[in-house]
Amino acid sequence: MFCTIYKWLISQATNSGKPLSGRLLRHTHRCSSCHEFAQFCGSLKTKLAQDKQDILYDHDKVLDQKVISAVHKELTSIPGRQAEPRKKTALRPALVPILAAAFLILAVSMSIIFLTVPRSEKEISLGRISELVSTASPEDILGKLESPLEREYLELKQTLDSTTKFLLSSFNYHIGQQAE
Amino acid sequence: MNTASPIKILSDEELALKVARGSLPSFEELVSRYSSRLFYFLRHRTETDQDIEDLVQETFLKAFKGIKSFNPECKFSTWLYTIAVRQAISRYRTNKKRKARPKALPRIPDPEEIVIQKEESKNLWRLASNLPKKEFEALWLHYSEDMPVKEIAKITKKKPITVRVLLHRARLNLARKIDQSAFSGQLAGTTPVKHKFSVL
Repeated sequence: MFCTIYKWLISQATNSGKPLSGRLLRHTHRCSSCHEFAQFCGSLKTKLAQDKQDILYDHDKVLDQKVISAVHKELTSIPGRQAEPRKKTALRPALVPILAAAFLILAVSMSIIFLTVPRSEKEISLGRISELVSTASPEDILGKLESPLEREYLELKQTLDSTTKFLLSSFNYHIGQQAE
Repeated sequence: MNTASPIKILSDEELALKVARGSLPSFEELVSRYSSRLFYFLRHRTETDQDIEDLVQETFLKAFKGIKSFNPECKFSTWLYTIAVRQAISRYRTNKKRKARPKALPRIPDPEEIVIQKEESKNLWRLASNLPKKEFEALWLHYSEDMPVKEIAKITKKKPITVRVLLHRARLNLARKIDQSAFSGQLAGTTPVKHKFSVL
């Protein structure tokens, strides 16, 4: 009744190469079927090793030669593949002048755009700041960053001076001098 | 005086390392060691001898191309058999897509074939070749290549318990086949062998 289980255990002991346990041995002594199976499993390795040589394929090394020649072919094909020049994608003769004209038009229009359109103020100031940061000391940077105010002050002063000159010339009025 | 070539005494793993460094004679030695073993192992995977030869060739080519990826700490046989199994599967899939073969009709063997079969049945591997494919492969890898259950599981992409079951079934079925062949021999009066596995 439990022979199926015992045979499974015999098989597992054969897999691991361990000897049969005491319980298994006791059972195999009593059960002829399990005893025969245990004997069969025990002798299987030797028997199969003996029979292996008879069945192994031998066509006077034909297969070996085939494999080796295939490898040789593979080896010779690899450098050939590398040496093979890459195919140039030749331009059609009719396309050459068209492409040249297109390129010329593109170059002219790009140069016109570049020359006529001024760069934005922001871009310029950012450029200056980055220049300053990379070259000058912190005091210089502060001084130069304050310069727009100074410039404004100078402009206002210039305006005031010119206004004063204008008024003086127009009214011919000298402050602090008596009229003759 | 020992006349054996130095290549002959090297292990498979050492040879594989030499092949990775560009030694072609080492590869030839590996081919001579494994080609027939692979041929017999792959017999169940294809139909004709030509197909098996092609498969063996493809396996070796693949191994040659990828020899640099071989880890010498692992067994070379495990690595090679894994490639072989994968190649066989991929070939099977390609062939399946290409054509659906009609099932061959069962053929009645002539008397000469019966005699040859009986002679062949004395060889356990020939008897084992009639086992189901998975059982035969597990048996081959375990007994012919001396692989433990874990490695067989790795090659065949199965769980170790599945491999154990396959090996167990293979042993039971092989024992049955021996029993049957002995019984048929008795009937024919050619080999009076004791009917051993009648209760299996």
